[in-house]
Amino acid sequence: MLNVQDLRKSYQVGSATYEVLRGVCLRVEKGEFVAVMGPSGSGKTTLLNCISCYIPADSGSITLNGRELARLNREELARVRNRQLGFVFQDFLLLDGLTVRQNILLPAILSGAVTPRAQEQADRLCEAFGISSIRDKYPAEISGGEKQRTAVARALLNHPLLILADEPTGNLDSRSSRAVIRAFEQAKQSLGATIFMVTHDSFAASFCDRVVILRDGVVWQTLERGAGSRADFQGRLLNAIRDMGKE
Amino acid sequence: MTTFSQVYAALRRKSRGQYALLSGCSFFSVLLITAYLCMMRSPTILSVLPEGGDSRKQVMMVFVLAVAGCALFTTYAAGLFFRQKSRQIGIFLALGATRRQLRREIFRDLGVLALLSCAAGALLGGPLAAGIWGLFRAFLVDSREMALRLDGRAYLPALAFAGYVAAMLFFLGNRAVQGVNVLDIVQESHRSEPIRQVKGWYGRAGIALVVLGALAGYQAPRFFIQVLRWYPPTIVSGLFYLPALAGLYLILLHTVVNGWRRGRRYQDLIAVSLMKFQGRQTVRNMLVMTLLIAGAYFAAFYAPMLSTNSQYSFASRPVDFEYHWRADQDLPLRGEVEELAGEYGVQITEWAQVQAASLGGDGTVSLEQDNGALGTTYTTQYREVASGATFFSESAWNALTGQQVDLARGSCANVLDDQGGSRYLSGGDVSRVTNMVTGRYLSLTPAQPLRFTMLLGCYVLDDEDYDFLTAGLTDFWKQNYVCFNVADVSASYPFAVALFHEIVDRSGPEVEVFDAWDPVERQIQIRQTGSYPYDSREYLASHDLPVIDYAQRDSSDFRNYWLYMPQFRVLDQNDFVTTMAVFLMLFVFIALICFGAVVVIAFTRCMTIALTSARVYADLRRLGAPERYLFGSVRGQVSRVFLVPALTGTAAISFFYAMILYCNDNRFTAGELAGLGVCAVLLAALSALLYLVYRFTLRCVCRRLDIRPAKKAG
Repeated sequence: MLNVQDLRKSYQVGSATYEVLRGVCLRVEKGEFVAVMGPSGSGKTTLLNCISCYIPADSGSITLNGRELARLNREELARVRNRQLGFVFQDFLLLDGLTVRQNILLPAILSGAVTPRAQEQADRLCEAFGISSIRDKYPAEISGGEKQRTAVARALLNHPLLILADEPTGNLDSRSSRAVIRAFEQAKQSLGATIFMVTHDSFAASFCDRVVILRDGVVWQTLERGAGSRADFQGRLLNAIRDMGKE
Repeated sequence: MTTFSQVYAALRRKSRGQYALLSGCSFFSVLLITAYLCMMRSPTILSVLPEGGDSRKQVMMVFVLAVAGCALFTTYAAGLFFRQKSRQIGIFLALGATRRQLRREIFRDLGVLALLSCAAGALLGGPLAAGIWGLFRAFLVDSREMALRLDGRAYLPALAFAGYVAAMLFFLGNRAVQGVNVLDIVQESHRSEPIRQVKGWYGRAGIALVVLGALAGYQAPRFFIQVLRWYPPTIVSGLFYLPALAGLYLILLHTVVNGWRRGRRYQDLIAVSLMKFQGRQTVRNMLVMTLLIAGAYFAAFYAPMLSTNSQYSFASRPVDFEYHWRADQDLPLRGEVEELAGEYGVQITEWAQVQAASLGGDGTVSLEQDNGALGTTYTTQYREVASGATFFSESAWNALTGQQVDLARGSCANVLDDQGGSRYLSGGDVSRVTNMVTGRYLSLTPAQPLRFTMLLGCYVLDDEDYDFLTAGLTDFWKQNYVCFNVADVSASYPFAVALFHEIVDRSGPEVEVFDAWDPVERQIQIRQTGSYPYDSREYLASHDLPVIDYAQRDSSDFRNYWLYMPQFRVLDQNDFVTTMAVFLMLFVFIALICFGAVVVIAFTRCMTIALTSARVYADLRRLGAPERYLFGSVRGQVSRVFLVPALTGTAAISFFYAMILYCNDNRFTAGELAGLGVCAVLLAALSALLYLVYRFTLRCVCRRLDIRPAKKAG
């Protein structure tokens, strides 16, 4: 579904050039829940932003369902973002002037297709993520966990091919984090969603099918959860991170 | 809510404050500029501001300042609006909105906003100007000259400014959705624009540059004209003021970034660092305010300075009534004047009547060469007969002025003002004087100048020399001068008016001329070219020179420029304000507009502190900052935005104004000192008003941030 090949990205700061991504290659299959971990500066968020086409990559290719994203014009890219991708951000990026339900409906509103079906879907997502009771409230009136669940529901509204999540639990307490991860799991299981999540949180990553660990702009290691328990997988993740620190 | 337009409308409703701020700024800037333009282009005003004259230049200078200020401030408000809007735009883009979709909504908003605010500003500008002028006429002063006529063409530049505002809004709106990097757009509202490191010496260097720039800017034209013999285009002289502008920028930069109070570095930490986040914008805004405040005071000083100086000059005249006429005219003599005085119950206590002559004096004349865009250059040439002047014999002078002058034969004394100054107006010394009828001349040596402001620019000769030079003169070249005093001058106004009318009524059309009309130059030019341009009313009108008209005897042109205008103390004292009403009120109007712009800019700028710093103050409160600290921090910012430009602008213009007065003739006259005193009082009153606006603004900002200064007591 998502194929990233030899992706490179550098930043220019004054006269110095910082190479953040130095040839990243990875694949995400349909229905997979994949996390990207790594120390600060390893290029996790840059990778996600390149995949989202929020920032242009220097070279390499990103294909989504066989379509090369870099070749799309602005209109086509907007359509891909709206119909094939769903986004969850660390600071939620909800619009303060809209209610929870209106925020969830936003992708449908933007595509000009607020059908009764989309509205039912929004209500279903509210129900599924336990935010029905707050659906007429404004973001300023709800908790961080509720905001992030609203953001997850918004990301799922248009049945995207892929959900891209940037540190979705980064601003949340452990209880809210668990609720958000549960929402992702639910989306994967009941809606068949494919999720690509950047995180620092080994607990959140341990719910994933696969974890890609980045280091200095390249894929350092990939760990599969396999048939083992979540706790075992978290232990393996922590060991891998510890090993990375020793090198 | 099913469409993007509905979502956008809902968000608009939620951010009414931002829309109101931008609309208000656009409206006020267009309103102020339109009002200013309507006034500046009004035939009422243009008729009293000579083309190329200092007053018109000053009005234009302050206008340019006001346009720059309003343009910068509106652009700032629009920039702030789009920074706050950028998060919405970024989220929409991130969720798949197309730029076309966004642009359509933003442009629709901007279209309505620009149309309403700019149209309202442009439409109300004229009525505002007329309204303020009407208030002046109703409550301050009224005269026939003040009847306001507006010229519809003034709306063209006003519309151009409104067009700029609209175009700028659309440009920034388009730029806001054009960004390639969506995350940058989302983060735009949090992006700071810190100033590069500001050294500690910036403040001191700034003050030095302001002083240097003011001196260089003021003295450069003198250098060009006197040394290089070049009248450069105004822009060239204006460039020499640039160091002052740079100095002001450095002072404000230093104030924003470093502050002046070293001991309070930590107390002021929050206020200073918050302002650094909006560095460039803050300093630009403060610079505009400083210049506008300076411009406002410059205009505000005009009326009190002119009034005080003139009133002082009227009061210090040694005689109550002076009038003069060409000898070929039939004007009232002593008997008739006494009879008229009797009718008004006025008693004439002293009377002197003497004769004077118009003779040719030698000197250098300027031969100008127009170099187009490069200005005008000139060369000087000595001529034995350069121009004409009025000459008295020493006995006539003594009889007229009560002085005891005894000149040696072969000498000639120039008359300066009462303080021995105004040499630039007196004509200077002459060494050869010629009778224009007979061609007789005498070579003379300059004597010690005499002092008598009422006869500034005349000359006095030894009696025998005078008799020699004036022999054979016709009445055309002779003048009669009368000076007299009355018992109770303050009660003599009706008599003065009647005598003034009598003099004007009995003067013939051949002396309906303005004060640069010179019989000597006339004779020379007629001999050389066959005509004298100042004889032609059409020439005068086309060159924007005063056209004297007996029917307009109360106009400022007539009272200020008629060659034979009498000097009646009580008439001048009483009629000064109405004679000069248009001038005086124009500058009061300009001051009002500039102060209005300053108040709007400062208030808006301070309220944005509340908008942009709300989160910081909420965090500080969570960290346990007491109300007193929060209040102090807010006050630190508001006072910098408000008081620093006020203090800098006030200090700069006070220095500049005093420098102009002093450099006129390297001294302060008593009248100028009295005028400066009145200006100081006005300055204190306006500063107090500005301070009240500052207090009001501070209270509004605190209310918006929910900071209660009263809590400091607890």
